[in-house]
Amino acid sequence: MKIQDIIKCLKNNKAISDYQLISTEKDSRELFYVLDHLEINRAVKVVSNVITIYVSNASFTGSSVVTISSGDDEKSLNKKIKEAVKKAKEAKNPYYPLPDKQESIIEKDDKKYDLNDVALKVAKAVYKANKYESGWLNSTEIFVSNVKSRFFDSKGTKHITNGFEIAVEVIPTWSNNGEEVELYKYYETSSINYDEITKEIDELLLNAKERSVAKTLKDVKLPKDIKVLVKNDMLQDIVGNTVNDINYRSLYFKENHYNKGDVVLSQGVSLTLKPVVKGCSKSMKVDNNGIVLKAAKLIKDGKVAKLWGDNRFAYYLNKEATGNIPVIELDGPRYDYSKEKHLLIENFSAPQLEETNGYWGGEVRLAKYFDGKKYIPLTGFSISGNIYEDLKSVNLSKEDATLPDYKGPKYLIFTGIQIH
Amino acid sequence: MLNKYLKSSIPAAKNLVKELRKNYDYVSILGSEVLTKRILVGTANTSLDEVETECGFVIKVYKNGRYSEYSCDDIKNLKPSDVKKALTLKNPFTSEFKVKMLEEKEHVEDFLREDKDSLSNGEIIKRLTAIKDDMHKNEKVINVNTVYIKRQISKIFVSEKKCLTQKYDWINAMLMVVTRDKDNIKSNYHAEGEASSLKALNGLKKASPEVLDIAVRLLDAKPIKPGKYTIITDPSISGLIAHEAFGHGVEMDMFVKNRAKAKNYVGKYVASPLIDMYDGAAGVLSAASYFFDDDGVEAHKTQIIKKGILQTGISDSLSALTLGTVPTGNGRRESYKRKVYTRMTNTYFGKGKDKLEDMIKSVKHGYFLFQTNNGMEDPKNWQIQCTASYGLEIKDGKLTGKIVTPVVISGYVVDLLSSISMVSDKVKVIGSGMCGKGHKEWVYVSDGGPYLKAEAKLG
Repeated sequence: MKIQDIIKCLKNNKAISDYQLISTEKDSRELFYVLDHLEINRAVKVVSNVITIYVSNASFTGSSVVTISSGDDEKSLNKKIKEAVKKAKEAKNPYYPLPDKQESIIEKDDKKYDLNDVALKVAKAVYKANKYESGWLNSTEIFVSNVKSRFFDSKGTKHITNGFEIAVEVIPTWSNNGEEVELYKYYETSSINYDEITKEIDELLLNAKERSVAKTLKDVKLPKDIKVLVKNDMLQDIVGNTVNDINYRSLYFKENHYNKGDVVLSQGVSLTLKPVVKGCSKSMKVDNNGIVLKAAKLIKDGKVAKLWGDNRFAYYLNKEATGNIPVIELDGPRYDYSKEKHLLIENFSAPQLEETNGYWGGEVRLAKYFDGKKYIPLTGFSISGNIYEDLKSVNLSKEDATLPDYKGPKYLIFTGIQIH
Repeated sequence: MLNKYLKSSIPAAKNLVKELRKNYDYVSILGSEVLTKRILVGTANTSLDEVETECGFVIKVYKNGRYSEYSCDDIKNLKPSDVKKALTLKNPFTSEFKVKMLEEKEHVEDFLREDKDSLSNGEIIKRLTAIKDDMHKNEKVINVNTVYIKRQISKIFVSEKKCLTQKYDWINAMLMVVTRDKDNIKSNYHAEGEASSLKALNGLKKASPEVLDIAVRLLDAKPIKPGKYTIITDPSISGLIAHEAFGHGVEMDMFVKNRAKAKNYVGKYVASPLIDMYDGAAGVLSAASYFFDDDGVEAHKTQIIKKGILQTGISDSLSALTLGTVPTGNGRRESYKRKVYTRMTNTYFGKGKDKLEDMIKSVKHGYFLFQTNNGMEDPKNWQIQCTASYGLEIKDGKLTGKIVTPVVISGYVVDLLSSISMVSDKVKVIGSGMCGKGHKEWVYVSDGGPYLKAEAKLG
């Protein structure tokens, strides 16, 4: 159905107090390789129309989400809307208003890539790194997508934004005297940089090589209170958990560990949420409620300076709504770990973090122990700690990283972590 | 009843197959509609939404030794030339390799399994509210969420030789309780999975007092001292081990990629002789009990391990074709927008002969582990990581009352499975799980088994 027809049906239903419509159009090309042969190529051209219907009075706001699919016509759309109104009336939540009309963000769709062409160039960049005799890429999946999002609400807000994403999943494998080991990586970016992709894949293959000769904890004697460095998924989980903890929603449900003024990170460290950061594929100018996003500095000198969140929980707590800001930027004094003994965790089986009790860690597939002179690859052990304690003395590495929703130091450096 | 729109799309699908066959050697179309109703009643939040609802099609074609797929929302107005244009690669980057073409047998059938005890929204809200209010009678409880989810799945599969339709429902009911004592916050949950709304909600109500009891007791829980212990796993943790150890490990698309060590262990011992293990949409009635998979292959029950010996893997059609084996009905997609992979369905260990009481009595010092938190596989190197939400200490054959959280089991799959020394005489399969492949491609699964006694590294 056309968006105008959906909006017409929404406007015609007088029981609706407010509505929001998010229409997402995805056009993607996908390549699936086994070793270096292309097994399947795919094209995806889909549209999703999701409506949130609000029914309010002075004391409550009820809402219901409904999805409009390709099979819907005017008759079934009106039926779905009518049912959603009924559901919204049953979902009696304390009153909150929708955000006021926002200044429109209308992005031009000027990046017209030939998606098949980009996908094949990404494949060439990936396989350029596939140059080793004992190491190879076992399987590779490449996704290249244009995503167009349209937002409309009953207040008159209208946004049109365009996104571009490249995602690569690779399984690098290395054989050492017939014994094969592998690693896993899902790499996402919003920028086209083929050389960077080759560099990432090459680093992964060399990590697989390290795992093939990795020793166990029995073979080395780690110093007590060795510095432990974590990156990528674990780093994102740790920093993301801190940000979620000081969200209005956590406060409202009394599940927060921190409040304004509390010490969260080590001295001098700051954390800012930003809508758009170059290279971060989760960047968004507007959130799911249509709020035009601005940067918000949440942590200053290690302490909580500002809480954040969407319009609903901001209203309940009588705070300013920041909207759902997607990208975390971390900064502060940098620590040079390179000369002292340290344990660099390259790859977890599955990084774990329990937001309620603060447990973090997991089984390590590949780590590198620097004994003061050289790196020794290690595997088959676990680490664990408590994030609400450990972050208060965290150090930041000198190197930087850009991840899907994070920009900042490449490594978080912890002391006193359990290694077992 | 099968979704009307999908039913009305069958003639268009047959026509599109006919048209596309002029350019391709094989064509099939999968149509999928998933309607998901979610009702949440929480401490300070109520919602009635349609989430994860979708409707669309995926067209699979074969030519010159390669498969291609086109995912779209509608086929009634789709031109064959649009499909061809989107799937044509100029100078494809690939080595010379030709995948074989799928051969199918004639099969026309309709399948149906619906929720016979459907309840009104008002009735569901009333039942969830009663459970939530019960939890709040305890002053340590700060937040409760009760959730009812009903998924109604309709699918059609159309090719030159097949025209299949299926409609089935699955219902989950969940409870999550958060407790707090000053800065100490803990949570506990329970999930039911049933083919009937009434059974799911009744099950949740029955389980709720114990969920609350554990949520409160967890406030006194300590982290476990890392080390090697004797463990007893509840059916949820047994299922998690089955899933991570020889579920992912025998997905045969991994055999094609030479990514699974299991490929070389068929016919060999991989577990204690007390162990039998199964997977299959037709194995038990649970979260992944469909009638045919996303390749149009009928549901199977596959015995993976028999008396400790690895028997076979599970496969989608394309993997089976490449390996020269029979497909086991395990070809699944996250949605019509995604590729098909070999995926688990309902995965479980078979029952043994031991009584749970005897198993506990036999433990000198160890932990009774409960409730799946999460897990991760490593099919190539057979490392395993399974996290239980909590454990109860056992000393000299008795539960001491001491509780630990969380508990991470890790180690080498064969060591863990070979150490199993007792298997209980009752099996429970829990139909409320989700499983990813790598870190994506989420599908609904169930897993379970009996209580198991084993030796494991805990951290």
